[in-house]
Amino acid sequence: MSRNEIFDRMTEVFRDNFDDDSIVLTESTTSDDIEDWDSLEQINILVALERVFSTKFSVNDVENLKNVGEMVDLIERHLA
Amino acid sequence: MNRYAISDLKIGHTESFSATVSSEMLKNFRELSGDINPLHNDENYARSRGYVGRVVFGMLVASLYSTLAGVYLPGERCLLHEVNIKFKKPVFVGDTLTVSGTVADVSETFSRIEIDARIVNQCGETVNRARIIAGIID
Repeated sequence: MSRNEIFDRMTEVFRDNFDDDSIVLTESTTSDDIEDWDSLEQINILVALERVFSTKFSVNDVENLKNVGEMVDLIERHLA
Repeated sequence: MNRYAISDLKIGHTESFSATVSSEMLKNFRELSGDINPLHNDENYARSRGYVGRVVFGMLVASLYSTLAGVYLPGERCLLHEVNIKFKKPVFVGDTLTVSGTVADVSETFSRIEIDARIVNQCGETVNRARIIAGIID
Protein backbone atom coordinates (compact mmCIF):
# COMPACT_ATOMS: atom_id res chain seq x y z
CA MET A 1 0.00 0.00 0.00
CA SER A 2 1.41 3.41 -0.95
CA ARG A 3 1.96 6.22 1.52
CA ASN A 4 -0.76 8.21 -0.23
CA GLU A 5 -3.23 5.35 0.17
CA ILE A 6 -2.40 5.13 3.88
CA PHE A 7 -2.97 8.89 4.14
CA ASP A 8 -6.35 8.57 2.40
CA ARG A 9 -7.55 5.79 4.69
CA MET A 10 -6.21 7.58 7.74
CA THR A 11 -8.06 10.73 6.70
CA GLU A 12 -11.29 8.71 6.59
CA VAL A 13 -10.59 7.44 10.11
CA PHE A 14 -10.02 10.97 11.41
CA ARG A 15 -13.09 12.37 9.65
CA ASP A 16 -15.26 9.56 10.99
CA ASN A 17 -13.86 9.80 14.51
CA PHE A 18 -14.28 13.57 14.78
CA ASP A 19 -17.46 13.78 12.63
CA ASP A 20 -15.71 16.39 10.53
CA ASP A 21 -15.43 15.94 6.75
CA SER A 22 -13.31 19.06 6.42
CA ILE A 23 -10.27 17.46 8.07
CA VAL A 24 -7.25 17.36 5.76
CA LEU A 25 -4.20 15.59 7.14
CA THR A 26 -0.61 16.46 6.34
CA GLU A 27 2.67 14.95 7.55
CA SER A 28 2.92 17.69 10.17
CA THR A 29 -0.67 17.60 11.48
CA THR A 30 -0.69 17.34 15.30
CA SER A 31 -3.27 17.42 18.08
CA ASP A 32 -2.85 21.21 18.11
CA ASP A 33 -4.49 21.36 14.68
CA ILE A 34 -7.70 19.45 15.56
CA GLU A 35 -9.66 20.93 18.43
CA ASP A 36 -11.07 17.73 19.94
CA TRP A 37 -7.92 15.63 19.56
CA ASP A 38 -7.08 14.83 23.18
CA SER A 39 -5.47 11.78 24.80
CA LEU A 40 -8.74 9.83 24.80
CA GLU A 41 -9.34 10.54 21.12
CA GLN A 42 -5.75 9.57 20.41
CA ILE A 43 -6.58 6.09 21.73
CA ASN A 44 -9.80 5.99 19.70
CA ILE A 45 -7.90 6.90 16.54
CA LEU A 46 -5.17 4.33 17.13
CA VAL A 47 -7.69 1.56 17.84
CA ALA A 48 -9.57 2.53 14.66
CA LEU A 49 -6.31 2.45 12.70
CA GLU A 50 -5.57 -1.01 14.07
CA ARG A 51 -8.89 -2.17 12.65
CA VAL A 52 -8.61 -0.43 9.29
CA PHE A 53 -5.08 -1.72 8.68
CA SER A 54 -5.65 -5.13 10.36
CA THR A 55 -2.75 -4.80 12.76
CA LYS A 56 -2.01 -4.43 16.47
CA PHE A 57 0.22 -1.76 17.96
CA SER A 58 2.47 -2.22 20.99
CA VAL A 59 2.98 0.32 23.77
CA ASN A 60 6.41 1.10 22.30
CA ASP A 61 4.79 1.79 18.92
CA VAL A 62 2.42 4.43 20.20
CA GLU A 63 3.97 6.15 23.22
CA ASN A 64 5.94 8.86 21.40
CA LEU A 65 4.01 9.61 18.23
CA LYS A 66 4.51 13.31 17.46
CA ASN A 67 2.39 13.87 14.36
CA VAL A 68 0.41 12.24 11.58
CA GLY A 69 3.58 11.61 9.57
CA GLU A 70 4.92 9.41 12.38
CA MET A 71 1.59 7.55 12.46
CA VAL A 72 1.94 6.86 8.75
CA ASP A 73 5.55 5.72 9.34
CA LEU A 74 4.27 3.32 12.00
CA ILE A 75 1.62 1.86 9.72
CA GLU A 76 4.14 1.49 6.88
CA ARG A 77 6.39 -0.51 9.23
CA HIS A 78 3.47 -2.74 10.23
CA LEU A 79 2.41 -3.34 6.64
CA ALA A 80 5.94 -4.05 5.41
CA MET B 1 -17.81 -5.97 43.19
CA ASN B 2 -15.64 -7.48 40.47
CA ARG B 3 -12.02 -6.38 40.08
CA TYR B 4 -11.00 -7.59 36.64
CA ALA B 5 -7.63 -6.56 35.23
CA ILE B 6 -7.14 -6.24 31.48
CA SER B 7 -5.29 -9.57 31.42
CA ASP B 8 -8.30 -11.32 33.00
CA LEU B 9 -10.70 -10.43 30.22
CA LYS B 10 -11.22 -12.17 26.91
CA ILE B 11 -13.68 -11.61 24.06
CA GLY B 12 -16.98 -13.26 24.94
CA HIS B 13 -16.73 -12.78 28.72
CA THR B 14 -20.24 -11.90 29.94
CA GLU B 15 -21.60 -10.41 33.15
CA SER B 16 -25.20 -9.60 34.06
CA PHE B 17 -27.48 -8.45 36.86
CA SER B 18 -31.16 -7.58 37.34
CA ALA B 19 -33.00 -4.58 38.74
CA THR B 20 -36.68 -3.72 39.19
CA VAL B 21 -37.78 -0.15 38.47
CA SER B 22 -39.73 1.49 41.30
CA SER B 23 -41.69 4.75 41.62
CA GLU B 24 -39.10 5.83 44.15
CA MET B 25 -36.39 5.54 41.50
CA LEU B 26 -38.37 7.85 39.17
CA LYS B 27 -38.87 10.36 41.99
CA ASN B 28 -35.19 10.35 42.84
CA PHE B 29 -34.15 10.67 39.21
CA ARG B 30 -36.56 13.59 38.67
CA GLU B 31 -35.06 15.42 41.63
CA LEU B 32 -31.53 14.60 40.55
CA SER B 33 -31.92 15.53 36.88
CA GLY B 34 -34.60 18.23 36.97
CA ASP B 35 -36.43 16.47 34.12
CA ILE B 36 -40.07 17.31 34.83
CA ASN B 37 -41.42 16.14 31.47
CA PRO B 38 -44.97 14.82 32.15
CA LEU B 39 -44.40 11.65 30.15
CA HIS B 40 -42.30 10.47 33.10
CA ASN B 41 -44.16 12.16 35.91
CA ASP B 42 -47.89 12.31 35.13
CA GLU B 43 -49.77 9.01 34.87
CA ASN B 44 -52.78 10.54 33.08
CA TYR B 45 -50.62 12.40 30.60
CA ALA B 46 -48.65 9.26 29.79
CA ARG B 47 -51.89 7.30 29.22
CA SER B 48 -53.21 10.10 26.99
CA ARG B 49 -50.13 9.58 24.83
CA GLY B 50 -50.89 5.89 24.42
CA TYR B 51 -48.67 4.35 27.08
CA VAL B 52 -49.81 1.98 29.83
CA GLY B 53 -48.32 4.26 32.46
CA ARG B 54 -45.46 6.66 33.11
CA VAL B 55 -42.49 6.00 30.87
CA VAL B 56 -39.31 5.53 32.84
CA PHE B 57 -36.65 8.14 32.03
CA GLY B 58 -34.44 6.71 29.31
CA MET B 59 -31.36 7.97 31.08
CA LEU B 60 -32.46 6.30 34.31
CA VAL B 61 -32.55 3.00 32.44
CA ALA B 62 -29.20 3.83 30.84
CA SER B 63 -27.74 4.60 34.26
CA LEU B 64 -27.73 0.83 34.78
CA TYR B 65 -24.79 0.76 32.36
CA SER B 66 -22.84 2.66 35.00
CA THR B 67 -23.48 -0.24 37.37
CA LEU B 68 -22.66 -2.80 34.70
CA ALA B 69 -19.28 -1.22 34.02
CA GLY B 70 -18.41 0.08 37.48
CA VAL B 71 -19.46 -2.96 39.48
CA TYR B 72 -19.50 -5.98 37.14
CA LEU B 73 -17.49 -5.52 33.94
CA PRO B 74 -14.69 -4.68 34.57
CA GLY B 75 -15.78 -3.51 38.03
CA GLU B 76 -13.65 -1.61 40.51
CA ARG B 77 -10.86 -0.68 38.07
CA CYS B 78 -13.25 0.82 35.49
CA LEU B 79 -12.74 4.21 33.88
CA LEU B 80 -15.73 4.83 31.61
CA HIS B 81 -14.68 6.35 28.26
CA GLU B 82 -17.74 6.19 26.07
CA VAL B 83 -21.30 4.87 25.98
CA ASN B 84 -23.34 4.84 22.76
CA ILE B 85 -26.95 4.12 23.64
CA LYS B 86 -29.98 3.10 21.59
CA PHE B 87 -33.37 3.39 23.28
CA LYS B 88 -35.40 0.61 21.68
CA LYS B 89 -38.61 0.29 23.72
CA PRO B 90 -40.26 2.09 26.65
CA VAL B 91 -39.76 0.88 30.22
CA PHE B 92 -42.48 1.16 32.88
CA VAL B 93 -42.61 1.19 36.68
CA GLY B 94 -42.49 -2.37 37.97
CA ASP B 95 -40.50 -3.73 35.03
CA THR B 96 -37.69 -6.07 35.97
CA LEU B 97 -34.68 -5.44 33.77
CA THR B 98 -31.76 -7.72 33.12
CA VAL B 99 -28.62 -5.85 32.19
CA SER B 100 -25.89 -7.80 30.45
CA GLY B 101 -22.57 -6.99 28.88
CA THR B 102 -20.27 -9.09 26.71
CA VAL B 103 -16.67 -8.19 25.98
CA ALA B 104 -16.42 -7.51 22.24
CA ASP B 105 -12.83 -6.28 22.06
CA VAL B 106 -9.80 -6.21 24.34
CA SER B 107 -6.81 -3.93 23.81
CA GLU B 108 -3.96 -4.67 26.19
CA THR B 109 -1.87 -1.88 24.61
CA PHE B 110 -4.45 0.75 25.47
CA SER B 111 -5.80 -1.08 28.53
CA ARG B 112 -9.39 -0.80 27.41
CA ILE B 113 -12.29 -3.03 26.52
CA GLU B 114 -15.37 -2.64 24.35
CA ILE B 115 -18.59 -4.11 25.66
CA ASP B 116 -21.77 -4.98 23.79
CA ALA B 117 -24.47 -4.33 26.36
CA ARG B 118 -28.21 -4.74 26.38
CA ILE B 119 -31.11 -4.39 28.76
CA VAL B 120 -33.98 -6.87 28.47
CA ASN B 121 -37.33 -6.64 30.26
CA GLN B 122 -39.25 -9.44 31.98
CA CYS B 123 -40.98 -10.27 28.66
CA GLY B 124 -37.66 -10.92 26.97
CA GLU B 125 -37.81 -7.70 24.93
CA THR B 126 -34.63 -5.74 24.40
CA VAL B 127 -35.45 -2.23 25.62
CA ASN B 128 -32.00 -0.75 25.31
CA ARG B 129 -28.69 -1.50 23.63
CA ALA B 130 -25.31 0.11 24.06
CA ARG B 131 -21.69 -0.07 23.04
CA ILE B 132 -19.51 0.75 26.02
CA ILE B 133 -15.81 1.59 25.97
CA ALA B 134 -14.08 1.33 29.32
CA GLY B 135 -10.49 1.81 30.36
CA ILE B 136 -9.07 -0.42 33.08
CA ILE B 137 -6.76 1.05 35.69
CA ASP B 138 -3.62 -1.01 36.39
